[in-house]
Amino acid sequence: MSEAELELFLQASVRLGAPLALAALGEAVTERAGVINIGLEGAIIAGALGGALGALAFESGGAGVLAGALAGGIVALVFAAFAVGLGTDQIITGTAVTLGGLGLTGAVYQARFGATGTALTLPTLAPVRLPLLADIPLIGDALFAQAPTTYLAYALAPALWYFFFRTEWGLELRAVGEQPDAAAAAGVRVRRVRLLATLLGGTLAGVAGAHLALAHAGTFAENMSAGRGFIAIAVVALGRWNPPWVLLAALFFGAASALQYLLQALGLDLPYQLFLAIPYLLTLAALAGWLGRARAPAALATPWPPPR
Amino acid sequence: MGSLLRTSLLGLALAFAACGGDAGPGEGDAPLRVALLTAGPVSDAGWYAGAYEGLLAIRDSLGAEVSHQQTRTPAEFDEAFLAYGSSGYDLVFAHGFEYQDAAMRAGEQFPATTIVVSGGGRVAANVIPFIFELEEGSYLAGMLAAGMSESGTIGMVGGVEIPPVQGTFRAFEAGARAVDPDVEILEAFTGNWDDVAAAKEAAAAQLARGADVIIHNVDAASFGVFQAVREVVGMGRTAWALGMNRDQNDVAPDVILGSAVIRIPEAFLEVALALQARGLGGEPIYEGASEGVVDFVLNPALSSRVPPDLVGSMDAARERIRSGELAVPRVPFVETESGIR
Repeated sequence: MSEAELELFLQASVRLGAPLALAALGEAVTERAGVINIGLEGAIIAGALGGALGALAFESGGAGVLAGALAGGIVALVFAAFAVGLGTDQIITGTAVTLGGLGLTGAVYQARFGATGTALTLPTLAPVRLPLLADIPLIGDALFAQAPTTYLAYALAPALWYFFFRTEWGLELRAVGEQPDAAAAAGVRVRRVRLLATLLGGTLAGVAGAHLALAHAGTFAENMSAGRGFIAIAVVALGRWNPPWVLLAALFFGAASALQYLLQALGLDLPYQLFLAIPYLLTLAALAGWLGRARAPAALATPWPPPR
Repeated sequence: MGSLLRTSLLGLALAFAACGGDAGPGEGDAPLRVALLTAGPVSDAGWYAGAYEGLLAIRDSLGAEVSHQQTRTPAEFDEAFLAYGSSGYDLVFAHGFEYQDAAMRAGEQFPATTIVVSGGGRVAANVIPFIFELEEGSYLAGMLAAGMSESGTIGMVGGVEIPPVQGTFRAFEAGARAVDPDVEILEAFTGNWDDVAAAKEAAAAQLARGADVIIHNVDAASFGVFQAVREVVGMGRTAWALGMNRDQNDVAPDVILGSAVIRIPEAFLEVALALQARGLGGEPIYEGASEGVVDFVLNPALSSRVPPDLVGSMDAARERIRSGELAVPRVPFVETESGIR
C-alpha cells in the first residue's frame, strides 16, 4: 500500500466512522441512563430523510442537519413515550420503532419524489479544512478536512466524558442507569432523566442520518441507514460506554469497512468479508470482559418503576 | 402490555403503508389478480422500480387487481406467498433470485397460483423462472466503457455476489476486452443493495485507483455510485457512470453515459397476457436482446460525447447478439432436467 493509498484509506475510514460515532455517542448517553434504544436505526433513517427534506426546503445543508436532528428526536420521543413513559419492553418497542421508521420514511419519500425514486441532488454539507491541523502529514486530511458534523463527534467525545464523570448531572444519569431505586430515593426523577437521555440519543442519531445523506452520500435512498443503528449499539459496547473509547470504536468499525473497499479496488483476491467481522469479534471480546473491565449499566433495559 | 401491542401494530402498519399495496380497478366479474414481491424498495429507480412499473402496466392495460409487498426476510417471503396464495391470486411476480426456495414451497401449496421468479433457478408446473439475459446489455456496456476510458481502467460495483449479478459482470468484462484487450477491470461488492454510502465508497476507491468508467449492479445504492462519479467530475476529472437494470439515464443525466436496460414493464405485461391467453406451462422464460427486452441505451444528453466509430461497433455487436452469431458469456443457474442452464 502506497502512502497515497494509505491516506485515502484513512479518509474513507473517518467518512464511514463519523455517522457511527454520532449515533453511538448518543446511544451511550441513553444506555448510561438504563435505556437501550434499538429504535436507533429508525431515528437514523428519519434523520436522513429529514435532513434531505430540510436541506431542499431551506437550500442549506446546515438547515438539513437541524431538520434531521429534529426528525431523530421525534422518533426517539415516540420510543420514549412507550419505553420510558409506559415502561413497555425496550427491545420490542425499539424494534417496532425501527420498522415503523423504515416504513414511514419510505412512504414519505415515495409520496414526495415518486414511487420509483430518483437520485436527489441535495445541498450538501461541504468539508471544512481546519487550518494547521489539516496540514499534518498522513492523518491531517483524513481527520481534519471533514464535514462539520464529524467535528461535532470529536467534540462530543471529551464533552460527554466530562459530563458523565465530572458533573453532578452526569452522576445522576449514571445512578439512574445503575441503581434507579437508589437514585429515586435520593430525589432524582428517574423517568425524566431517562426521557432526556433518550431524546439526546435520538437527536444525535438524527444528526448521524443527516450526515449520511448530506455529508456522505449526497442523496437519499430508502433503507440507506443499512443497519448502522444496530452497528452503533455494538460500537457502544466495544467502547465500553466511555465516550472517547466509543469514538475510537466507531472509527475502528469505519476502518474495517474502508479496508474491504480498498482491498477490492487493489484487486486482491482475499475474502474481504472477514475484515468486516473483526470489529464484531472484538465487540464480543469486550462484552466478555477480555479487553479490561467492561460492564453494561446494571439497570440497562429494565423498566422503571419495576412492573408489579 | 396493551400499549406495547399497539406500538408493534402501529410499526407494522407503517411499514406496510410504505410497501404500497394499492389495489387497481376491477373489470368484469373476475379480474386477473396479480401481485408483486420485492425484497427492497421500489424507489430504487432500477431493478425494483421497473417491476413496480410492470405491475402498474398490468393494472392499467388489463384492468387487473394488483398488489405489491416489500418483504425482507425469508420468513416474510413465506408469509407473503401464503397471503396471496390463500386469497386466490392468479399470478405472483417474485422479483428476485432470493425468492426461489419460498416460491417452490408456495407453488406446491397453491397449485392455482402461478409464481414467476425473476432470476429464479428452479422450475415446477406453476413456478417459472423468468430470466432476463441482461448479460447482452452488459456486454454492450463493457464495450462502451472500454472505448470511453482514457485511463484504461474501469470498475464494477455490485451488491451481493449472486449468479445473475456475476453474469452481468462477466459479460461486461467480455465486452470491454473485445474493444481493449488490455483494459484493467476492478470489481467490488458491498454486501448491500441499498447502502448508498457503501456503494459510494466502493466506487470512490475504484476512481482513486484510476478507473474512469464505473458500472453498478445494485439497487438504490446506485445513487452512491453516480454521486462518487459526480464528485470526481466536480474536481475536474473526466469520468462516467453506467446505469443497469432499467433506463437510468435520467437519474443522473450529467454523468450516466448510458444504461444496460431490461424493459421489465413490457416483459411483465407480456407474461400476464400469456397467462390469460394460454397459461405459462412450466418452462423457464428467457428474455434477451433478440426479444427486444434487453438492450443498451445511450443517454441522449451525452451521446455526442461517444465517438461514432464506437457507436457503430456497438450497433454491429447488438445485431450479432440478436442474430445469435455472438454468444455473450453467461453464468448459468437455472436447474432443469437436462442440467444447469
